[in-house]
Amino acid sequence: MRTGIAMSNPRLAFLFVAPALAFLAAVLGWPLVQAIILSFQNVGVIGTAGSWVGFDNHVSVLGGLGFWNAFGRSAIWVVGNAAVQTALALGVALILNQKFPGVRIARTWIILTWIVPTVVVVIIWRWLLSTSGGMVNPLLIQAGVIDRPVGFFATREGSMASLIMINSWRWFPFTALMMLAGLTRIPSDLYEAARIDGASAIKRFTRITWPLLQPTLLVLGIVGTLLSFNVFDVIWLLTAGGPSQATQTLPVLIYETAFKGYRLSEAATVSVLTSLLLMGFALLATRAMTASEDAR
Amino acid sequence: MKRTWPQSIALFGGLGLLAAVIGLPFWWVASGSIKVPREIISRVPTMVPHSFTLQHFEKLLQSTDFPGYLLNSMVVALFSTAFTIALALPAAYAFFRMEFPGRAALYRVILLAYAFPSVVVLIPIYGLFARLGLIDTRIGLVIVNIAFALPFSIWMMRSFLASVPREIEEAAVIDGAPPRVILLRILTPLIAPGIASVSIFTFIASWTEYLFASVLIVSDAKRTIPVGFAGIIGQYQIDWGLLLAGATAATIPVVILFAFVGRWFVSGLTEGAVK
Repeated sequence: MRTGIAMSNPRLAFLFVAPALAFLAAVLGWPLVQAIILSFQNVGVIGTAGSWVGFDNHVSVLGGLGFWNAFGRSAIWVVGNAAVQTALALGVALILNQKFPGVRIARTWIILTWIVPTVVVVIIWRWLLSTSGGMVNPLLIQAGVIDRPVGFFATREGSMASLIMINSWRWFPFTALMMLAGLTRIPSDLYEAARIDGASAIKRFTRITWPLLQPTLLVLGIVGTLLSFNVFDVIWLLTAGGPSQATQTLPVLIYETAFKGYRLSEAATVSVLTSLLLMGFALLATRAMTASEDAR
Repeated sequence: MKRTWPQSIALFGGLGLLAAVIGLPFWWVASGSIKVPREIISRVPTMVPHSFTLQHFEKLLQSTDFPGYLLNSMVVALFSTAFTIALALPAAYAFFRMEFPGRAALYRVILLAYAFPSVVVLIPIYGLFARLGLIDTRIGLVIVNIAFALPFSIWMMRSFLASVPREIEEAAVIDGAPPRVILLRILTPLIAPGIASVSIFTFIASWTEYLFASVLIVSDAKRTIPVGFAGIIGQYQIDWGLLLAGATAATIPVVILFAFVGRWFVSGLTEGAVK
């Protein structure tokens, strides 16, 4: 492989990488170490001192229900978001991959939901779903889906479902653009050949588009899982984890434990365990990815 | 190629649906912000405002420090963007154009930063910033934003660097140009679209960041839009008019920004991704 200007100059390369690395080490790496240290202590309020307690926190967190319940909710959250976003994004990507007047404008402005602050997304949907003045209830009544206004955040299941829909609304355009990138990379002569052979549109999708989109979907699945797992603000601002903890995912649990419950070490312990979980997932997923690349 | 009638109907039907799903919520909020309170909470919502008032925007300016939030967000986002580029550009160059021992391993470590929920480092960062006197400062927010945007930015530069032929650098080396000159004078202009899309990504990520800004900023005068706005939500008995006006006012700046640079961003996103 031919290399760039400085193949004989690793010192210069280090010089280029060092500032970014040092920065990440100081702002992300060091705090991470601190979180691990905290998880072996018994610190309550931020800034107070604690003593060493060994694995006490880990044992009590793993032995209690709070962590596992939040883990289960996070799993539902991630899977729900993945399902809704993939379905919507694939449809949209297929549309935006066509040629039509205004396709550039559509490709640019579709991302509007993702570039506004989350707080704005929260306001939009709190109002649209509200029982006084919101548009969604009257529309559903008119369509005959419901016969009187429903409180979308009143029930446990309703809250989780509404949050998943709102977060998906924010993210599906982003996902769609990523899929579009994968679609545009499929050689168009494949479709030409299939057309000449008389393959139907459905057959072209199942035999060409779908299999060749797999690598893209895999990358998106990994990145998307990590991204949606970490979502905090939409949930916090809309339901604060409620009603009765029905939407308390792991990030919400960590935040509440640290900043509402003032149990810093416990929160750090949940953080560390969550990170181990995600790292395990990321490692397995990237291994699966390289394996599927090698197989090709 | 020609589309058949059913295909055209499916395509434009789908586009119409998409436009409605994305556009209608924004339309309802923007049009709601100029309705009188009685019309906002009316049982039969109106598609087009029947009334017109600027009272909600007046209240936004009088009872909240919205312009201040806007300014803080601008300052924080601009500085975050500038420093992210300054750090990401040389790093991406070294990662994707140079050879050095441990290159692959270091790159993997940087990508690992993705795997951590940001809330994990929130607690220790709070402690760290408290000791350094960075709580309740905009510098603190800039530092955090850079750290979270950096990994993605380096990753996004990759395909843009890959598109520049190596012969250009080789010619410059033969001519005796020092590496700094090659990076700044020769490569930077060639990957300008990449720098543009990374800038926009960082700007938007900083603009929308809520979690750290809500914990690290204490005084009202230093709040960014997301936090200041979230404060308005909690502060009043739900005043929809005020909230809709605020949502509209917080959306307009990014819409203006995107009208100019959106095309670059989307092409950067789609070209940089999944490679």
